[in-house]
Amino acid sequence: MVALNGSSVQELMKVDLASTSVRELNAELHAPTARRYEVHNPRGAEAIAVGLRHAIEVEIHGPAGYYCAGMNMLADVVVHGSVGTGVAENMMSGSVRVRGDASQSAGATGHGGLLVVEGSASMRCGISMKGIDIVVGGDVGPMSAFMAQAGRLVVCGDAGDGLGDSIYEARLYVRGRVGSPGADCVEKEMRDEHVAELERLLADAGLPHDPGEFRRFGSARRLYHFAAHNSAAY
Amino acid sequence: MCGIVGLHLKNPALEPELGRLFVPMLEAMTSRGPDSAGLATYDAEGMHVVKDVGLPRDICAAHDIAARSGHQAVGHTRMATESAVTSDHAHPFTPLPDLALVHNGSFSNHASIRRTLARQGIACTTDNDSEVAARFIARELTEGADLEDAMRSVLKEFDGFFTLLVTSGTQFAVLRDSFACKPAVIAETADYVAMASEYHALAELPGIGDARIVEPEPERVYAWSR
Amino acid sequence: MIDPAQAGLRESATFDRATIAAIQRAAETGVYDIRGWGAKRAVPHFDDLLLLGASMSRYPLEGYRERCDTDVVLGDRHASNPLHLDIPITIAGMSFGALSAQAKEALGRGATEVGTSTTTGDGGMTPEERGQSKHLVYQYLPSRYGMNPDDLRAADAIEVVLGQGAKPGGGGMLLGQKISERVAGMRTLPAGIDQRSACRHPDWTGPDDLTIKILELREITDWQKPIYVKVGATRTYYDVKLAVAAGADVVVVDGMQGGTAATQEVFIEHVGIPTLAAIPQAVQALDELGLHRKVQLIVSGGIRTGADVAKAMALGADAVAIGTAALIALGDNHPRYADEYAAIGSAPGFYDDFQDGRDPAGITTQDPELAARLDPVEGGRRVANYLRVLTLEAQTLARACGKAHLRNLEPEDLVALTIEAAAMARVPLAGTSWIPGQGF
Repeated sequence: MVALNGSSVQELMKVDLASTSVRELNAELHAPTARRYEVHNPRGAEAIAVGLRHAIEVEIHGPAGYYCAGMNMLADVVVHGSVGTGVAENMMSGSVRVRGDASQSAGATGHGGLLVVEGSASMRCGISMKGIDIVVGGDVGPMSAFMAQAGRLVVCGDAGDGLGDSIYEARLYVRGRVGSPGADCVEKEMRDEHVAELERLLADAGLPHDPGEFRRFGSARRLYHFAAHNSAAY
Repeated sequence: MCGIVGLHLKNPALEPELGRLFVPMLEAMTSRGPDSAGLATYDAEGMHVVKDVGLPRDICAAHDIAARSGHQAVGHTRMATESAVTSDHAHPFTPLPDLALVHNGSFSNHASIRRTLARQGIACTTDNDSEVAARFIARELTEGADLEDAMRSVLKEFDGFFTLLVTSGTQFAVLRDSFACKPAVIAETADYVAMASEYHALAELPGIGDARIVEPEPERVYAWSR
Repeated sequence: MIDPAQAGLRESATFDRATIAAIQRAAETGVYDIRGWGAKRAVPHFDDLLLLGASMSRYPLEGYRERCDTDVVLGDRHASNPLHLDIPITIAGMSFGALSAQAKEALGRGATEVGTSTTTGDGGMTPEERGQSKHLVYQYLPSRYGMNPDDLRAADAIEVVLGQGAKPGGGGMLLGQKISERVAGMRTLPAGIDQRSACRHPDWTGPDDLTIKILELREITDWQKPIYVKVGATRTYYDVKLAVAAGADVVVVDGMQGGTAATQEVFIEHVGIPTLAAIPQAVQALDELGLHRKVQLIVSGGIRTGADVAKAMALGADAVAIGTAALIALGDNHPRYADEYAAIGSAPGFYDDFQDGRDPAGITTQDPELAARLDPVEGGRRVANYLRVLTLEAQTLARACGKAHLRNLEPEDLVALTIEAAAMARVPLAGTSWIPGQGF
């Protein structure tokens, strides 16, 4: 790790993963001695910047692998590249921004914070989400927002098949086409409060689309109680 | 349960570099499959297969894979699930002289298909589930199907989880099951098509920064020919 | 009403009264039966094994004077802070939601009093159980209900749950009666709905991906916490090998008698293998990897007595976990509730409607009035007492076999009463040197 100055809490620390291990990086990020970090040469490595819990900024220059920024709290992480499976999985707070594309299960089970994928996300984006906000600039793959419990998923492009299958109380906004809505997921009316929250989410994500171009999807709440007449839907 | 890599060169100028480009891809998948590794390379003379128990680095070094030239390569690192760790159980499975299959995942009805094939006189030589898929595709090809049709037949017959990469002397094809849980990423440039279980296996390829990166959709055959 | 036996009436063994009732219930409702508890059918079990006490060829230890130690270290393969437990009997994962907060607290108190660990469940960690548990294992489950990295860091070990013995391959099902405001809040669900949990993790599938998931969990917790991997017993030999390959410090194998809060009856009775059959498979896998006793094996599913503990350890377990038995120790199925069981169509000894939330003993419920019947301090005392008895019983048997430490029990200290048990446990039929399935 290369320190830019000698004081105990530095402004910026640069970490080169070509010469520093992910273990060393994460240990530093868990007890940070700088306010901002630049991570170079990630080359798709797994578990980069996981378990952060301080209000620090981390910029990753290049593609990251599985579980980048997993379980993030408070920190703001930016990836200048693509990310592998489970980016920002189970995020609690803070933000994660992916300048490229995200692989499967982006933002899975996230409880809070904001995940922005400027490119597209693949299958199961927002699976089992529990309060996280996810804004995807491009498309999301099939089975996105599967069993989504709470939070908002905004898709500026198209959504794949099975969107929001077995969804609970999460709200989904899609600008493009929806392959097919999943079981118990239905299109719902865009009321003023939905336009307003979508406007804020798009502004937070820095993606200047007109909220009027989006449709809202949510739970029909037909599967909330286990019943014989729904057996075909299980 | 494993790591998959494949490289299909479009630009003949890269053919002398095939092995040098391919070895880091296979080594990057070591943690996904530490038990054994295997690969097939294709050149003008045909398909050349290496399978062995041990780490990809050692296997590639022992066979000087980095020095190989050719137009296509496919490789696999294996974490054995329900069958033994031997070089015979290592992928790729090569039931025809120019056909190679690598698989990540786990078929849930391979025993039944194995019995069906056996009744037709097609015997598997290992208890590995992936071999069944390789012999199934070989049967389809032998009966006249093209590779894409043969892989679509896999979707009809096989249950379970799979990402498959299948190569022939001229073709390079990728397929995932309907759940598509087992990872796959494809990178395409004007010079090559590369496929891997995880992106970091592709990270050293030339021009990867500008490649078109795709995650294959479920139940869709992605195929390239030369 | 006539007495059918007296009248010479014949009941069908195939369509017995329970089967007839089940068919008629299905026809009535159109929905499968969901219940708690574990498999109720008879399967080969520890009762079919006997220990060979010392006589002439071996020397026993003096029962009340000579030491027989019971401590165990769990998770020292990769973790910098492994668990040091005083006894090898732990409390299995049971969720707040399935159990009341008082019951969870009582389990923590009881375990702490005797120096062992307790485990969270599918629903997150409550302050009550963290506060009262010296050693707390945090379960990491497919649903990720209440999953919080601060709780992960506050735990003493992490248990990645792939499945449980009552329902290997199945997800959870907690019915709306038990989704109180607090339970719903912890799980981020609307109160009162029937909750279906996932059977697969949302962001990984298979041992190759689990390797990366375990790496992430270790990175988040700075390589301090032991990582357990829990599987329901089915293809145990392969599953244990793969759990170790993926990096587990401890493997937990739960046999089909292991309990559940709510699962389909058909699942509980028809999926999985008995605990007795699973242990030798797990030990064989660890042995072949050269990691038996290095990656610890915890066995659960039908542990009731110190004899069960001793026999499980003799077969190669490093520790056991109890679930159903701990609830019974708290007062589940106690005869003093006979009238109340009758009022909800059950009886002491038969009550298994843990999904229903109307538990007269106040254990498997979220009803504040029922839950208040269980005093966590008194409950903790009962659990501690029961754990002490299990330990004393196991020590008694181990001493008789000449062991100064429970872990020195070995398969050669066992014989089987039945051919089935001999084959499954891979020990000889009593009085013979015959282990069915071996040597042919």
